[in-house]
Amino acid sequence: MLEKGKISHRQLTVLTLLYTIGTSILIVPSIMAVFSKQDGWIACLIGTAANLLTILIYSALAGRYPTLTLAEFSEKILGKWLGKVISLFFLSFIFLLSSFLLRVVGNFMTTHIMPNTPIEITIILFMAVVVYAVRLGIETTARAAEIFLPFVIALFLFLTFFLLPQIRIDRAEPVFENGIKPILLGAFYYFNLQEQVILMMLVPYTNRPEKARSALLAGTLLGSVVIIVSVLLSTLVLGTEFTQRNMYASYTLAKQISVGNFLQRVEAMLAIIWLITIFFKTVVCMYAVTLGTAQTLRLKDPRTLTLPFALLLVFLSLLVYDNIVSFVAFTPKVFSLYATIFMVIIPVGLLGIDALRSSFKQNQSSS
Amino acid sequence: MSQIDIATIKEKLGYSNDIIFKEFQIDYGGNSRKVNLFYADGLVNTDSVQDFILETLMVEFPKLNTNQHPFLDLLTAGEIEEVTSTDTMYYNLFSGHVILIWDSNKILSIAMNGIKDRAVSEAMTETVSRGPKESFTESIRTNTALVRRKIKNPDLWLENMRIGKMTQTSVSIMYIKGIVSDKILEEVRNRLSRIDIDGILESGYIEELIQDSAYSPFPTMYNSERPDVIAAELLEGKVAILVDGTPHVLVVPALFISFMHSAEDYYQRADISSLIRILRFVGIFIALLGPSLYIAITTFHQEMLPTQLLIGLAAQREGIPFPAFIEALIMEITFEILREAGVRMPRTMGQAISIVGTLVIGQAAVDAGIVSAAMVIVVSITAISSFVVPAMNMSISIRMIRFALMGLAASFGLYGIILGIFALVLHLCSLRTFGVPYMSPFGPFIAEDTKDTLFRLPHWAMRKRLRLISQNNITRGNNKPPGPKR
Repeated sequence: MLEKGKISHRQLTVLTLLYTIGTSILIVPSIMAVFSKQDGWIACLIGTAANLLTILIYSALAGRYPTLTLAEFSEKILGKWLGKVISLFFLSFIFLLSSFLLRVVGNFMTTHIMPNTPIEITIILFMAVVVYAVRLGIETTARAAEIFLPFVIALFLFLTFFLLPQIRIDRAEPVFENGIKPILLGAFYYFNLQEQVILMMLVPYTNRPEKARSALLAGTLLGSVVIIVSVLLSTLVLGTEFTQRNMYASYTLAKQISVGNFLQRVEAMLAIIWLITIFFKTVVCMYAVTLGTAQTLRLKDPRTLTLPFALLLVFLSLLVYDNIVSFVAFTPKVFSLYATIFMVIIPVGLLGIDALRSSFKQNQSSS
Repeated sequence: MSQIDIATIKEKLGYSNDIIFKEFQIDYGGNSRKVNLFYADGLVNTDSVQDFILETLMVEFPKLNTNQHPFLDLLTAGEIEEVTSTDTMYYNLFSGHVILIWDSNKILSIAMNGIKDRAVSEAMTETVSRGPKESFTESIRTNTALVRRKIKNPDLWLENMRIGKMTQTSVSIMYIKGIVSDKILEEVRNRLSRIDIDGILESGYIEELIQDSAYSPFPTMYNSERPDVIAAELLEGKVAILVDGTPHVLVVPALFISFMHSAEDYYQRADISSLIRILRFVGIFIALLGPSLYIAITTFHQEMLPTQLLIGLAAQREGIPFPAFIEALIMEITFEILREAGVRMPRTMGQAISIVGTLVIGQAAVDAGIVSAAMVIVVSITAISSFVVPAMNMSISIRMIRFALMGLAASFGLYGIILGIFALVLHLCSLRTFGVPYMSPFGPFIAEDTKDTLFRLPHWAMRKRLRLISQNNITRGNNKPPGPKR
């Protein structure tokens, strides 16, 4: 095995939780408001259900090869060459996703926190720390995730608590105003922003892979709760219209907090939560892509790939889209369809072929 | 053994005049035997040499019918051994033994240690308001005795070795058999036996030679000069390394969190200790991030400050010629110089430093228009906060990292600080101390072991030892919440 570290299923839960919150806490409220209006939270619920369902598929697939990652068992299922092609195709998706994540960090930082710093610098800095984490291995990353988790939870509870006075329930009404269709559309987009399939690359490195399924489910569920709360709060505090117009709605949301004229401007807290979660999401993606590539190409040490991939990712992240407008158009419409290939079609296909093959083998041996 | 030539020994010792030689003849077994006796003056107790060796040999021997007794039994001294190698002879000579060469063919080494030790005194670096006041001394024997007095149990084992080709310093490993993890113990033995150096003058030498991460700013070995601390660590299943010649005893494995604990936390009430610990963590947070947050906010994120405070700060900074970073750097370095001067300078000049100190970090600096008053406050509170870290070596690490974070804050604002903290936490999580993850019980999280970390539960609630450290016997006691018997 290329990775010698082992993580516990508790650590996998924590990583999944941070991974699920990922970018979503910042950008999902706005996307939901655009497509599902005030019913965004229902869309998120449906999306979460879909997510949990796919995790069952992924873990059924991983359960058949508990010691192998997706990049390894695709070769077992489809044969050497076709398997490698599918693995590389899958890895290219993770690679692209990583560059998107980087660009989102760069965009947010240059828009809201560091307007005078060039986006290249913010991305390179972020990438440097990500590379450091990937090189230290999954064990260290998981431990760091455990240390950051209490801060994420505490800050989130803090923000939620101080937003409660500003809630107006009537902003979420009328429910089902436009019927079920926009809600399903929102649910579909929400589902595709989670990319839980990448977490499968970590499952073989848990010390008890049979518990990985419950860890993934628990982590996804808890992470989704955080996102649903932020979507709900955006709708209830800012209203649908305002949320739609704000790219980073929950950041705007945090700006609304004002307690007794001294507790103000706490939006930095939300930026911190988000930076932590997107950091771990990027690390997991980068880790998955280096490990998967090393496994597919039979390299000895995935860490040799970190620096070249980091360089490529920095440039790719600057090229993936021209500006924020194209990002807003691209993410739901194109990216979600693209992601569906990897989140649903490939895993389901692999599972189907593997089930057929094993039943075929059983028939052969019994006859 | 072949003939031992006293002249060779004298030559080997370079005729050093602190080695006292004495030669005489006595009657034993009907023959006249030559006795050569020598010792290092100052290391042995000369009165004892006079009373127990010279008196016995020169006065009592001729009176006795010495043939009936083996010679060794007749000497009235406790620790006598016959040595065969000259290396051991020299080692014993400089450990305060009297060397007696019998008839030019037998070397006897008689322990007569009489070096003037410093008395057991009050701990200088780790002070407590409640708790034992004694501290270790420079003598390893006194130190082991101080620990033994606290743990009166045959399972408290001691292993001795000599390290340092020239200094031959005695180094002892102390642990409680049955509680200590064999893996950790074996690791300590291995690492100590690998040391190849000419001299060990302080436990810091050992620490640098056997610690886990040579390039980490964080200490992965704990040291203390308090016997009660060492006893407590031994009870947790850790291994103590005592080095002759220093009052600082090393303890491994050392978790990050144990550097934040003071001995007094365990002697005060649990609730008070817990609150004080939280206060300490606030202090550490300020010590680490104080100046960098100030730099980041005043340089990049002015919007985060309330308007009135912002106006006040801007007015103060109006006449200041430097950017906030340079200003902070000047003040921080001035403070570090003051602190260093305070440590090095003769005690009698303390007054001078405090007067000058208040001038350079104080109103005079503000009046001169070099720094703003707010910066003076930030630097002062940071300085004070860095002293709430009970362990000196951890406090130094935090101070070093503070400068790195200040640089990040000056270039990249809060973003830089956050990324710096990411890297810092990742680094901490990657460290191990003798096989145990440095950040445990938080990373990896072990719920049961967190009862003595950020807070401290009462002693009756701490029923188990840390799981990752003591794998053998983890039950400390089985107490119920106290109260009258029901």
